[in-house]
Amino acid sequence: MTTILLGPQRFTVTVTAAVRSLDVDGPIAMVNAGWLEREEDDAELAGLLDGRGRNLRLYHRLVDVMTKDTAFAKGALAFREQQEELRGFYGLRLQAAVDTVRAVRQRSSPHGLKSAALTSAVQAVRDVDRWYASQLKELYREMGRHVSVWESPVIGWHRGEIEATLDGCVAIVIAGGHVGVLLQAFRLFSLELPEELPVVAWSAGAMALTERVVLFHDFTHQEVTAPEFHDHGLGRLPGIIALPHARRRLHLDDPQRLALLARRFPRKQLVLLDEGTVLLFPTADSPAPPGARVIAHDGTIETVDDDGGEAG
Amino acid sequence: MSAQTGTRRLAINRLRDRVPLDAAAVDRFVSRYGSPIVEGERATFLWRGEADEVWVRHRVVGLPDPLAMKRVAGTDLFAVTTVLPEGSRVEYQIEVRRGEAYERCNDPLNPRLAHSPLGSSSVCAAVGYHVPDWVALDPEARPGQLLDEVVRSRALRRDQPVQVYLPARFNRAIRYPLLIVHDGGDYLGYAAMKTVLDNLIHRLDVAPLVVAFVPPRDRLREYPNHAPHARFIARELVPWLSERLPLLETPEGRCLMGSSFGGVASLSTALRYPGMFGSLLLESASLVFTDIGFEHGGGPYFDPVVKFVNRYRAKPTRPVDRIAMTCGVYEPLITPNRSMVPVFRAAGMTVHYTEARDGHNWENWRDRLGDLLPWLFPGPQKFVYE
Repeated sequence: MTTILLGPQRFTVTVTAAVRSLDVDGPIAMVNAGWLEREEDDAELAGLLDGRGRNLRLYHRLVDVMTKDTAFAKGALAFREQQEELRGFYGLRLQAAVDTVRAVRQRSSPHGLKSAALTSAVQAVRDVDRWYASQLKELYREMGRHVSVWESPVIGWHRGEIEATLDGCVAIVIAGGHVGVLLQAFRLFSLELPEELPVVAWSAGAMALTERVVLFHDFTHQEVTAPEFHDHGLGRLPGIIALPHARRRLHLDDPQRLALLARRFPRKQLVLLDEGTVLLFPTADSPAPPGARVIAHDGTIETVDDDGGEAG
Repeated sequence: MSAQTGTRRLAINRLRDRVPLDAAAVDRFVSRYGSPIVEGERATFLWRGEADEVWVRHRVVGLPDPLAMKRVAGTDLFAVTTVLPEGSRVEYQIEVRRGEAYERCNDPLNPRLAHSPLGSSSVCAAVGYHVPDWVALDPEARPGQLLDEVVRSRALRRDQPVQVYLPARFNRAIRYPLLIVHDGGDYLGYAAMKTVLDNLIHRLDVAPLVVAFVPPRDRLREYPNHAPHARFIARELVPWLSERLPLLETPEGRCLMGSSFGGVASLSTALRYPGMFGSLLLESASLVFTDIGFEHGGGPYFDPVVKFVNRYRAKPTRPVDRIAMTCGVYEPLITPNRSMVPVFRAAGMTVHYTEARDGHNWENWRDRLGDLLPWLFPGPQKFVYE
């Protein structure tokens, strides 16, 4: 099971070399549903794959399903509204909990009580994450009771086409874009990436391969500036949290902020995917390879050394 | 124009030292620098011609107005230098006296103008001020639509025109938040709000939303806490829009917005219909009040405003959950606006308050939208990783 995660491809193109390094002959499945209506503008991407790209057209299919299967569309839109409402409550609670951690950290502690208060405040943030995850799971369960992707002939037809295309492919490339739509498309068509097929992905595509998709943008004007757990991804790299465009989107010079992020997901490796990054994961449980830049638990940025340790 | 900064003497002082200081030297100086000359945190305003007195007229609280210009000895050039902190933006005009005749005009040496319903003004931009790049038409941003509609209003006893903005990719299957904008025509005309919306939505900073731009007929009567106006907005316009467009039906999905008196109209409407709107966007709202007596100095038009704000301050309530508000630090309303922030917060509302080194004008209100709209209507920026 080979997976390669890349940095953003806009200015530093590494996908061609990464795909060639797989040493496979034959067509390559392309997923660029995250580009939304620009999905069809894939000539440049196909060119980077030496003309071997076969677009799975997941966004086009998603729109087709929403147009043709009105019962499903109704259920999906209702789910979307519920998820939006849930995100609203999650954002409120999360930001307050994260602000509390900062306030606790800044307060003096002449009697040494801060450490316990801080641990509890961080736990409160994790509790909010956990609450959101459980509520989301409940929403999915509820939605599944009303609409089934397995009963829709339109979805079934598209699924058949996708499987047929994938059957002839020797690798899959997943581009960036809107990670929410990408996950939606994967979920709608119950897309499972065969283990034997190598996958090359970047930005939102890389996030979609992980188990926990975390949205982040420290410099946003939005009210909720804390990184948010969004949804479960495909789980191909369950031990990784992918952080594309980290330099541009994270306060990398604020170790306390980063430490909180790391402590929220203690059993995951938080991997920065900036321009030029190329990371090879030979198996699902491979840790980030040497050279990867990760956020350590103390909030510092460390580079994984040849022994798999973090070199600082 | 901006000139070199550092330890060099001001350009106007170097000119004064020129010998001989003849008309040709002044010609060269004026054509090289124009007006104003911005050097570090100083701005020098110039005017050339025959006059008895010349002033810079502005409305910057803290600077003398009028700001008298002095003749550069032996020439027909008048100049004055004033402090101008980094990031400032000031609108001004030139006033000239010849004998008993006074004339007021934009600065003929400065091509940069700002427009408003009251006419145009010259603009002095300090070091560090930049027109945000989301203000200009972006060919890559898909344009939304502006629809001209008319709503028959029993409350206002007239047919009320409304311009309705539908975002690009408008889709009836999706429910949108609603923003109602007071002085709607002016926001479109002087704050480029359609372009701003198109761009901020395109950049993922702002969620696609429906915007109703409502122009007033008699804003000085209708905006300061006027029951028929509030009834029109809450009981006629919102239902009219909801019947025709897919809108979110919760208070969180509805926001009232306005600048100056439009800010008062937004707050007073929300107070008259608590629970109907979830948020307010107030720009330089005319929230004038008195702590004792009723001498507010704003003239008779402010009487109903002061009555309204005094009453609110005496017993603050929480008509909405969130307020995004801003004010220019150079306008007289800065103190009332600053004073209202803790009042709103103490009433239980979340307030996002920003200030700018600018005045009571449409370009200031335009420039603030890039911060306030994403706070109120966060776009999918956090979802997109190209």
